[in-house]
Order: sequence, then C-alpha cells, then structure tokens
Amino acid sequence: MRANLVCLWAFIAARNSIAVNSIDDELVIPNETESAGSADQTCSILKSSNSPENNTYTVGKKEREEPEIVEELEIGLDGDTKINAVLFSNETIIKYPFGEELTLKPLPRNFMLASFAFELQSNNFTVGKTESAYDTYRHYTVFPKALSPILEYTQTRQLHLRFTHGRWDAESWGQLPHNGTKSGGNGVELWAVVEAGSQHEAFENWIMLANSLSGLFCSSINFIDVEKTTYPVSSFQPAEERTIPIFNSSNQAYLLRAALANEPICTENLTPFLKLLPTRGRSGISSLLDGHKVFDSNWHSLSIDVETSCNGDTCQYQMEENIEMVFNVPNSLARADNPIPKPVRDSDLQCDESKPHDSWECFPLPQSKHTNFQLSKLFGKKILGSNLISENPSKVCAQVSDSWTVYVGIDDDLFATDDNCFTIKNDQLHDIHLKSDNTAHLKECEDVPLFVSRSLTGYGQDSGGLRTVFSNPSNESVQAIYFESLPWYMRLYLSSLKIESDAGLEIGDVIKSTFYLPAIDRERPTHLEFNITIPAETTLALTYQFDKALLKYAEYPPDANHGFEIESALVTVLTPIHYEMRTTTLLLSLSTPDFSMPYNVIILTSTVMGLAFGTLFNLMVKKLVTIEEADKKASAKVGLKAKLIAKLKKLKGKGDKVNQLKKDQ
Amino acid sequence: MSQLFLRRVVAVWFAAIYALIGLPLWYKLTTIYRAPLPGEYVSSLRENMHADVHVVVPVYVRSDTYKFPDIHRAIQAQADALLRSKPSTIDWSLQVMPAEKNQTLDLESDYVLTLVLDDFTGYAIPYDSKETVVFFDDTAVLSNDVPFFAAQTLIEHTFAAEWTHFSGSTSVQDENTLDIDSEMVISYSPTMHLSLSLLTGDGRPVAWDIESTLNQYFTPLRRFLSPLVNFTVDTSILPFNDLNLGSLHDVQDPSWQDLAHSVDLSELSSINHYREKNVVNLAIVFPSPEAGQLAFINATQDRPWQSFMVPQWGALVVNKEALPDNARITQDYLAPVIYSFACELFQFLGLSSEKADLSTPYTTIDSFKRIMTLKNLEQGVETLWSLVKLTNQFPQMSVPKRVLADVERAVELRLQAVELINDPKQGNEAIWNEALRLSNDFVQVCERAFFHKEMVQQNFFPQEHKIAVYLPLLGPISVIIFTGLIKALREKHGDDAEDHLNGKKSLKFDSDKPLQSEDTS
Repeated sequence: MRANLVCLWAFIAARNSIAVNSIDDELVIPNETESAGSADQTCSILKSSNSPENNTYTVGKKEREEPEIVEELEIGLDGDTKINAVLFSNETIIKYPFGEELTLKPLPRNFMLASFAFELQSNNFTVGKTESAYDTYRHYTVFPKALSPILEYTQTRQLHLRFTHGRWDAESWGQLPHNGTKSGGNGVELWAVVEAGSQHEAFENWIMLANSLSGLFCSSINFIDVEKTTYPVSSFQPAEERTIPIFNSSNQAYLLRAALANEPICTENLTPFLKLLPTRGRSGISSLLDGHKVFDSNWHSLSIDVETSCNGDTCQYQMEENIEMVFNVPNSLARADNPIPKPVRDSDLQCDESKPHDSWECFPLPQSKHTNFQLSKLFGKKILGSNLISENPSKVCAQVSDSWTVYVGIDDDLFATDDNCFTIKNDQLHDIHLKSDNTAHLKECEDVPLFVSRSLTGYGQDSGGLRTVFSNPSNESVQAIYFESLPWYMRLYLSSLKIESDAGLEIGDVIKSTFYLPAIDRERPTHLEFNITIPAETTLALTYQFDKALLKYAEYPPDANHGFEIESALVTVLTPIHYEMRTTTLLLSLSTPDFSMPYNVIILTSTVMGLAFGTLFNLMVKKLVTIEEADKKASAKVGLKAKLIAKLKKLKGKGDKVNQLKKDQ
Repeated sequence: MSQLFLRRVVAVWFAAIYALIGLPLWYKLTTIYRAPLPGEYVSSLRENMHADVHVVVPVYVRSDTYKFPDIHRAIQAQADALLRSKPSTIDWSLQVMPAEKNQTLDLESDYVLTLVLDDFTGYAIPYDSKETVVFFDDTAVLSNDVPFFAAQTLIEHTFAAEWTHFSGSTSVQDENTLDIDSEMVISYSPTMHLSLSLLTGDGRPVAWDIESTLNQYFTPLRRFLSPLVNFTVDTSILPFNDLNLGSLHDVQDPSWQDLAHSVDLSELSSINHYREKNVVNLAIVFPSPEAGQLAFINATQDRPWQSFMVPQWGALVVNKEALPDNARITQDYLAPVIYSFACELFQFLGLSSEKADLSTPYTTIDSFKRIMTLKNLEQGVETLWSLVKLTNQFPQMSVPKRVLADVERAVELRLQAVELINDPKQGNEAIWNEALRLSNDFVQVCERAFFHKEMVQQNFFPQEHKIAVYLPLLGPISVIIFTGLIKALREKHGDDAEDHLNGKKSLKFDSDKPLQSEDTS
C-alpha cells in the first residue's frame, strides 16, 4: 500500500537530484544548469519519460491586449505527439466574492457621513475534516487568512467587533447608519457566538479569541476577562433568519459579549482593518482611508461582522467590514488648506455687519450655505481605480437632495448620473465633486424612535446612583430591551429601582420583564436586561442606587485617580422599527487610597512594637535601684554637673552676701 | 548569683534568640521558594551526552540458495569491527540475526539482508522497502568475503545516514553532540504548517489550480512523511505584495546579494496564527507590470521562474515576468514548482543535504527518525542544562514546584526513550516511532519547564523591597538588643561589689514592700 504511494515520488526523486552549490548570506540558489527547462522536470508534469534532448519550444506572442493569447510551449517528443503545456490560461474570467461601496451623506450643519462598506466571502471548507488529513488543504483568496484560523480554533461561529469613538448627535443627524447595528459604544465592543460543550469551554475559547484579536487589531482586547464578560439573554441575538451551524452535535452555541469602555482607537487599529481587505487599501475605495483623516473626524466607527453559513457539510464565512465617519466639512477643508491653524487675516474675516465690527471686534456670520469641494481634499487622496477582483466594481453613492450636484471626475472630465451613484472603472484616478447652493436642504433624516441618556447621580465615595432617561418623541409606543453590564465594584440595589415620570407611570407599566444576574466580586459583572415599553410622547427616568466597593491595593490601575470607565448601555428597539443605540460611557470615581499608606502603616506599627519591646527589654536588662539609692549614688559621685552647680551656688552665695552687705549698709 | 551576671545572661539570651531563632526564621519565611532541581544529574548528562545510549538496530539475514548456518555471526563480527574502526559520537551497532524458517518478515518494517547468488558481487537497495540485497558469486564464498561485503553494504549504504552522523564525527567544537545543523534546517517538530502563497505585485485577479495540483502531487508526500511529521497546509492569494522586488527594477544588473537585501518577508511571516510551532513557507511571486521584468531571473520559456531558498523560512519562487491579464495558473505551471519545493522541503526538514538524493526513502526516513530522536534528546538536555544554569546564576529567582515536576518528568521520559533505543530485541519501526514521540514529548516538557512564567516574574522583585519593609521593625529591635547587650557587658566589675550590696538592699527593699503592703491590707 505504502509502496504504491511512494512509487511515483521515489521515481521522480531518483531521476532528479537538486544540487545546491552557492550559498550567500540569505538565499541559496539551485544550480543554474539544473534550474530551468530540463526535461526531467517536465517529465513530472507530463508523466512520461521521454528523452530531453529534442525539445523544441514555440511561444505565442506576448500581447497583453489580445485576450486569446496564451503563453504556451510545445514540447516535441520522440514521436509526432505534441503536448501543450499551458502555464497560464485565461479562458475563464476570474471573479471573487467581494464588494465595496462608499456612501456619502451630507448631514445638517455642514457635517457629512462617509460610510465605507466591504463585503467578502471565504472559500468553502468542509466540516469534520481535520486539518492534518492528508488531502485537506485550506485555501484563502479574498477572505483574510489572518482571521480564519482564529475563528476555527476558537470555534467561533459569529464574530462581531466594534471600534467606535465620538458622539453621534442623534437629535440633529437622525438615525445611526445601518440602524445602529454596525456601531458600538465608545471604545471597543466584542461579541461572538462560540460553539462549545460547556459554558466553561466556551469561556476558554472566548478568552483565546479575545487574545488573538488583540494581537491582530493592535488593541487591548486581551483585557477582556471574567469580570467583563456577560452572556446576553435577549440583546445581541443573532439575526433570526440565520441559523448558527453547530459542527459537533453534542455542542451548543454560546453568546458572549464584553466591552472596553473608552478604549482609545487610533491609526494602528485602522491598518489591520485595511490589511484584512483583498485590496489592502491600495485600490478601490479603501485607497481613500488614511488614519490621519479617519481619526480626525467627529465620530467614527470601525466594525467587523463574520458569520458562518453552511450548506450541508460545506461551510463558508461571510464578512462585512464597515468603516464610518462623520466629518465637519468646513473644519476638515480648512485643516487640509492650513494644517497649522493660524488666525485669519482681518481682511478675510466675515463679520456680521449689523453689529459693531472692526479689526479687534467681530461677530462672525453664520456659516455659508454654499459649498463646493472635492472628496480628494477631504481625504487627502483620490480613489486609485476600482477593485479589479470582483464582479461588482467599486461604487460611490451620494445621498443628497436636489440642491446638491455631484460629479465624478476622471482625469479632467466630469460626469454625472441620475441617481448620484458612480461606478469606479479600471485603474484610473477618480475624484468626487460635491457642490451645493443650500447645504441646509438635505435628504430627510430618519427620526430616531427613542432617545436615551444615562448619567451618574449622587456624591461621595461610598455610594451613588444611575439615572437613565428614556424619551419617546414619536406618537407610537416603543418596545425595547435595555441591556446594561456594570462592573462588580458598583454594588447595585435593584430594590432601589424607581421611576420618575410626569405622566404618573408605574414601574410595572414600563418594565415588562427583567433579567438580573447579580455580580460576584471579581468573578462576574452585574448583568441587567429590561424589557421595556415606552408609551408615545413620554419621557421617563429610571433610577437605581449602588454602593461603591473598595478595591484591593493591586487592583487599581496606574492612573487610579482618573476614575473607572463604565461601558455604555445598549437599547435594542424592537417595535416600531429595529434599531440599536448606545448610551455614552460613564466615568465612575472610586475612593482611591493614598498608595504610600501601607508603608506608613508598617512604619507606625513597627515603631509601636519597638517601643513596647524596648521598655520590656530595659526592665529586664537594666539595673533597678530605689530613688534614695540613686540620689545617694548621684551625690557620692561628684560629676561635672555637680561641680558646676556647687560653683554656681558658691558664686550665688557670695553675691547674696554682697547684696546683704549693701542692704545692711 | 550576682545581679550583674543575671542581667548579662538575660541580655545574652535575648541576643541569642534574636540571632539564632529570629533571624533564621525571618529569613526562612521571607525567602523565595526554590525547588531543588537535580542540577548535578543534568550537568553530568550534558557532559556525557550520549553515554547511556547505545543504538541497536536488528537486521535479519536470509539466504535463498545456500544455507549459511553461522553467517549472522560472521557478519556481526565484521560489522562490529567496521564500526570500531571509526570514533563514534553515539554508540551504535547492528544486531544481526538469522531469519527463522517460519518467520514472516515484513519488508516494510524490518531490516532484511537477502543474500542472492549471482554472477557478480554487488548490492541493491529497493526504494519501496527496507530490504538490502547483496549479490555474491561462488568465488566470494570460497574466499570468505561474503560476511565482510554484507557488513560493509549494510553500514555504508543501508545505514549511511547513521554512519555519517553517529560515527563520522567531523565537528571540532564538541565531540559529544550530533551535527546535522545545516543553516537551512527548520527545527524539527512533529507537526508543521505549510503555507503556500501566490503573490502578485498588483491587484488584478489571479486564480490557480492549486487544489488539484496539491492533491495529485503533494498528498502522497504528506502521507509518506506522516510518521515523521504531519503537515497542515493552507494556500492563499495575496495581491499588492511583491516582497519589495519591484524596487530591484531600477537597479542595474542586480545581484543575488541585492535580492537578499531587498526581499521583505515581514508580511508573510507576521500574519500567522497557526497552532503549529514551525512553519515552512512557499511564496510564488509575480512582479507587477509597472515594475517590469526582473532581469536577473534565469528563466526559460517553460520554466519562467527561479527558486530560492531562504534559510529557516522556506522557498521563494520568483517569476521573471508579470502575470498576463485575468490569468489562471495551470497545473502545468504549478507541478514543477511543487516538485521543486518538495525537494527543498526535504532540505528544510533536514532529511537530505544538498548531495543526498532520496533514492531510498524508506531507509532514509527511518534513519532520520533515529537521528531526530537522538537530536531531540540532546536538545532537551541542553534546555535542562540552561535551566539549571539560569537558576544558579540568579539566586533571587523563584523555582516553582511545577518546574521541578516538569524536570522530573523530563528525566523520566528521557530514560524511557533511552530504554527503548537501547533494547536490542526491539528495533522495528513502531518502536522507533514511539521513541521519536517520547523524545518529542521530552523536548516539550523541557521547554515548558524552562519557560515557566513565574520564574522570570519573580526575578524582577528586588531584594531591597524586603529590607525596606522589614527595616522599621528589625532596625529598632536590633539596636535595642545589641546596645543593651554591649552595655551589660561593659559594666565594670568595680561596680559589681557595690552593686552586689545595693542589689541585696534593693532586693530586700523589693521583697519588703509586698510584705508591708500585705501587712497593711
């Protein structure tokens, strides 16, 4: 059996011996006489053993424009048979499952949302085939090779990662893009569906996943631990239309979630995002993305969603990557013109002329409603052609009202379309021109179904409170799930839950069901999920109290006085529309010890002990005498002091005598 | 007893308790735990690296035509003499045994020497078994040359690898260790990852018939190598990465050195999240059309690429021309690349040096197993020795119990492996596989012991901290005790007489008082 397997191999091996002659510092080059064109090599291709001498080569013309031309070679063999060895064929058009789109949406007050969306799919892989099986080969084309092994060895079936920073002004900008499902709270947020035999195993996989992602995205995701991880019950649920494939039928799927509040997000997080794309930021719309510009925005969100979908035993990963940001257009343009801010010349000042104005005093006019700018100025670069690998060429769309005109600029030509969507073609440089006479006239922003804000109340270092205000502006009642995960050092009293409402609502009217998993010190965070209904046009507030726990000496972070970031709460609106939003993060200040105190305590205690011991020791070792004896001894021993005293007394005595004499006289 | 004497005794007692009980107790309670490692045993192991190893390989002799009743003894004697002729790093010998009549020999697992009567003398080693065929003629029988010839064939050809590595100790620096380190060789581990990448300098779409090529040409190799090393394989297409070869375009007549200096493998090497410890790479690189053709590549029409080996990394296949538009790389292109890579793979594994060919893969792999087992034993002992040296050099470093347990386990594993190797009755393939597995475990356990994280962590905890924390307590107490002692000792004897009187008085006084108070009460 084995002999047959080896047969082919050994046969080839016996005929060839690769000789390596020269070795330089880094590379070893096979002997050049052996390296190319020997028929021994082609024998293995053609699986015949003809003599090498009479090979003739004819190679087709190399003209890249002609699609039919193939580099080919014909090897004349002993007889008349000719076998064509085609090295590169181009009969089929190669396309990969990849799509990218950039959406530009002007927002009120000269803001603009730029939303980059990428979609890609992995190659198929078969469930239940071990990697080390002899005929198992994993192939990667567009799906990132860096991500796939992580998902496999942690048995992750769904992965959702969010990097978000900034404030989304919901009152003015309306709904978040993608109904809020693609943006997290301030900082980093991660949730995943992990397949495992037990919750313990799921948690181990989860920690492994977090550590691996931490390395991949250059971020502190590895700080996710048992204190931060929750198992959401009704929030973060995978979309219903997708079933989660379970590879081993004795296993279960576990949903785990954790967030790192206010984790700084920077260029080093964007670079891995670009590296995951098959275009690597070198072509297509991703060529616009530059850390300096992305993180200069008022709000930005980077997200990745990977889902596993299976058809029988054949599975594949589907990945969506979104990079979204909101610019203040005038500010960004000004910064592009003038990277170092300088005061405006007085001649360039636009002052409100109805008010007093001179070189020192100026009330600025409201911002101009006219705008005319190019995307290349906003991002610092032009779009470097389309992605060439996908069926769908890269696309740029602008969602604007009639007051705006949008052109695509290729070289010096400008083109416009009816729907303001442009297809990027080939590898030419593209630029988008946006022009408007009335920047305030925009496409209608969709209203947010619910406003939520959360804040800390109370003062002092031993207790506090949380107050969450829900406000439903619409005339429909809103049903939602409120999810909150609080660290264990906020000792929550659910009994103190109160409702403040002008409409006189009771808790039972608002909170339909509660899931509450109390925290365990250093082992579990507080996990709270409310199923709430907010009646139409109502504002209400939920408050509850908590105690602040004392941390151990070593549990304080290096900047202990900064306070502790509390992650944002999630509100998932179920009706009337599906929408997700998050509150802002909070900064909780705990009582922070004076860190030199332990040493002070040591010193103080030691001193007391030293004093006690000294007294005891002296009692036992020193000589005990009565006072009389001591006095006697002191008088017997005439010391220097005694002599001095005696002399002084003498002097005094003389003086007294003299005085007496004087008095007498 | 004089009062001074009593006071002195008390002071001395305090000082004695302080110095003899207090200090040792304090020291004992505050020192870092250091498990007692078998340092001497490890260093003796290292000094006489393979002293307790004696590799014995059983060989069965059979003869088809003539019956030689004592041929195995004669061959044994000749083989022993031949092996003695060269100084050996590792003791090894053949155990020549006659093949019993009813014994069925498995040519794929046992070494068999077959003597065949022919018109000439010669030998043959088939590539599909572990049989050695020695041809002899009648004159050889008459002149009694057959045993010597058989012994020579066995040692110099069938066991050529052992002959060079175990006996032919050419290394000057250390006679005790095996030298199979070529600069190419990727350190051995039982599972390895193979990463094949297709790199293009631009973003145009490319495809390759890699699955079918690998299934046809690489699967047999994986299966064949599986007792030795198991591979996991992935392939990927990476656009926009030409390993910085484009920069060579401007260079006039670039040399190999230029190539070596400008190739940038960082991206290929850094994005790996493989579970295997060792990775072998194959990168097929096409320059971008803008970069133009790479003039230094010695390419021909049917083989437009040249292969380079990067030490301990893998193979680099550099193409002269950019890919045509919309190209699908066919099996015709890939098969020679995979073949060439497979040959290089043997070098990366250390299975063959540049000269050796794989005409006898069965015996080569078996020999490689033996060499690797011994190399592993060596490597593990070196790791243990480093651990012992490290703990000796840093007296402040903690040595947890776990490390001790690992070291003990490692020593035990080593003994098990050595026992298997030394047993002359067991020499078949399964035993060597087991020995290799044990030696792999040995290396792993040794490394786990060495890289225990607590050892390093504790090393950064300075000893001064201990002094700083305890000084406020120990300082005053020491001062009190010792000044008290000195004072008591320095008190003059002149005082003693007086003290004696005074003492009596005071004692009397003391004893009077309670009496008085008793009276009053």
